[in-house]
Amino acid sequence: MLIAENIYKSYRRHSVTVPVLNGLNLEVKEGEFVSIVGASGSGKSTLLHLLGILDAPDQGRILLDGKRIDNLPQRERDRLRNRTFGYIFQFYHLLPELSALDNVLMPAYIAHSVTAWWRSRQRWRSRAVDLLKKVGLGHRLTHRPRELSGGEMQRAAVARALLMQPRVLLADEPTGNLDVQSGTEIIRLLRELNRQEGITIVMVTHNLEIVAATDRVLRMSQGVLREEVFPYPYSPLPRCLTPAPSAQLT
Amino acid sequence: MTVYRLLLCLRYLQTRYLAFICIVSVMLGVATLIVVNAVMSGFSTKLKDRLHGILSDVIIDTSRIDGFVQYDALGYPLFDPEGRTIPLTPEAMISRIQASPVAGAIEAMTPTIEVFALLRFRLGMEEQTKPVRLIGIDPVGRAAVGGFREYLVRQRGTDKPSFELTPEARQRHEELQRHARLLAPPPPDPAPTISVGGLTIPPPNPQMMTQGMPQPQLHGMIPGYTIAHFRFRDEQGNVSEEPVLKPGDDATVITIGGRDLKPVWGTFIVTDYLKTEMSEYDQTFVFVPLEQLQAIRGMEGRCTALLIKLKNYEADKVRVVEELRRLFCHPEIRVATWEEHQGPLLAAIDIERGILNLLLFMIVGVAGFSILAIFTMIVSEKYRDIGILKALGASHRGVMSIFLGYGLLLGVVGCVLGTLLGLWITANINQIEAWLTQLSGRALFPRDVYYFKEIPTHVEPLAVLLINLGAVITAVVFSLLPAWRAARLHPIQALRFE
Repeated sequence: MLIAENIYKSYRRHSVTVPVLNGLNLEVKEGEFVSIVGASGSGKSTLLHLLGILDAPDQGRILLDGKRIDNLPQRERDRLRNRTFGYIFQFYHLLPELSALDNVLMPAYIAHSVTAWWRSRQRWRSRAVDLLKKVGLGHRLTHRPRELSGGEMQRAAVARALLMQPRVLLADEPTGNLDVQSGTEIIRLLRELNRQEGITIVMVTHNLEIVAATDRVLRMSQGVLREEVFPYPYSPLPRCLTPAPSAQLT
Repeated sequence: MTVYRLLLCLRYLQTRYLAFICIVSVMLGVATLIVVNAVMSGFSTKLKDRLHGILSDVIIDTSRIDGFVQYDALGYPLFDPEGRTIPLTPEAMISRIQASPVAGAIEAMTPTIEVFALLRFRLGMEEQTKPVRLIGIDPVGRAAVGGFREYLVRQRGTDKPSFELTPEARQRHEELQRHARLLAPPPPDPAPTISVGGLTIPPPNPQMMTQGMPQPQLHGMIPGYTIAHFRFRDEQGNVSEEPVLKPGDDATVITIGGRDLKPVWGTFIVTDYLKTEMSEYDQTFVFVPLEQLQAIRGMEGRCTALLIKLKNYEADKVRVVEELRRLFCHPEIRVATWEEHQGPLLAAIDIERGILNLLLFMIVGVAGFSILAIFTMIVSEKYRDIGILKALGASHRGVMSIFLGYGLLLGVVGCVLGTLLGLWITANINQIEAWLTQLSGRALFPRDVYYFKEIPTHVEPLAVLLINLGAVITAVVFSLLPAWRAARLHPIQALRFE
């Protein structure tokens, strides 16, 4: 479904070129929950940005359903980011001026003109409320991000990522800033979404304890991906959330 | 317009307190411009009203001191078809105009004589002399062309103003005459009785000389209010006035004859005052009866100007002036509208206003720079939010329009508040001036300098609209650069920004 082919990406810092990705290949199947682990600075987030067409590779191609998406016109890429991909960030990245409900509704706000919104606002609003209830924030609809805990903010960010019913969820260190319990709740939530709604999830993390919940674990090293040994000796997740053995490395 | 742009514009406006500095800057700029424009426009409108009123709509006048004489287009006497000259008497001129195609556009006409003169009157034991503009008018005719009766102090708004003395004025005049006689030096010794051949002839009785003869007619005069009053500051610093020429007082005008340059004079009695609140008029104009001035100057049946009032000035002025120029075509005869008459003064007012507006618009320019600075700060603060929005699918244009919309919103809010503030200050400018004067102990609008009782204001809706439009455009233009920077921001850079 989502393919990265022979991806190269480097950054220039003070006239020095720092290679990050060196001919990376990845194929993520529909409904798969893939986790990518690796040391800090290994290029995990860069790969996620490239997959989500937030950034463009120096070389190589990103394909969605067999169609190249990294070279689409800006307008098409904006539309894909809005409708097809959902993002979860380590630092939640909620807009501080808006309530939890408005933050969740933001992708719909971006997608609709004022008149179109006026016609469909009830439907979107009830969907956003349902999502917030689903992530356990039904009582926090009008609260601003500063009034929420780290775990609650991340759950609001998950609800936001799900609003437009994306096909691919890209999660960048979703538990990186949370305590163990909150992190476990988030991973459980993602697992449920993956299982129940069939959302494809690509998660970047350096927390080896939570990757046990995923279908496939890949390790980023030297700018390429390698399949990681599985299972790990300890998994914090209940048995029901342990992954199905369907991991394949391309 | 997508929902998020509107939502974020409004939300930023509510939550970014820095933005209030921009709003206050725009508000003060707009309010200042509205107040200054209203005051300038008030002065200008009042001045124009006064100039227009006193001048009538159209004026036919001559540069010759002896008034209109018989001319044709080449300077030769005008002849009628029978070979007789056509005198340019007021009656003949009026008849000619009434027979012309523009007669229907004319509401009233009146002849006048205007000449420089000296006014002499007694103030205590001294004689005062002032240079004045002596204007001979028919008061009813002058009132018909406008700009006269509404400025009279005693006869204000009267249908038929006149130079008639009131009984009180007449009484005062007679008393003054009696006092003058008492103070006059004694008459010379009576003539001796003459005896001729036993016949004794008594000396003539001086009273007999005037018995049975008609008393000389008293002619009225209407001087400008400032000529007849002395202004001074009392001990409390308030401006006070004391009349130096009261109704019933007499004054002598000395001018030059209409046929030659010999001095002529006549004595008139003050009957009323002219108070236009235009210092130039109030301190120089002296109105006297036209026939009397004609008689003094030896200009019977002649005048120096014909004042014309049109039924619809704006609609007919061009047509009427063209026709009158054709009828009275000569280099020494000038036909002009009141605006042409006062052209340089009106142009100066407009230029002054334009320059003042330009300078004051710099205040809005300063507001623009504060928007630029504050927006740059806000965009820097919002780096991460911009990255989030782009990650969620917001376009470059969308992000740019958030900040442009924000600038527009600040401009509009600033303009609305500025307009309300400006209109409020304009409506209460005299109370504010009084309060500031009381506070500072120094008159901001000294009534002895300006002859208006109050600071005149006139709010022009078009000017208010243009000020608002200019301020909003400035706000948007100065938010362009920060908005463009926000739009160009790479989402990855923005998301890494912590």
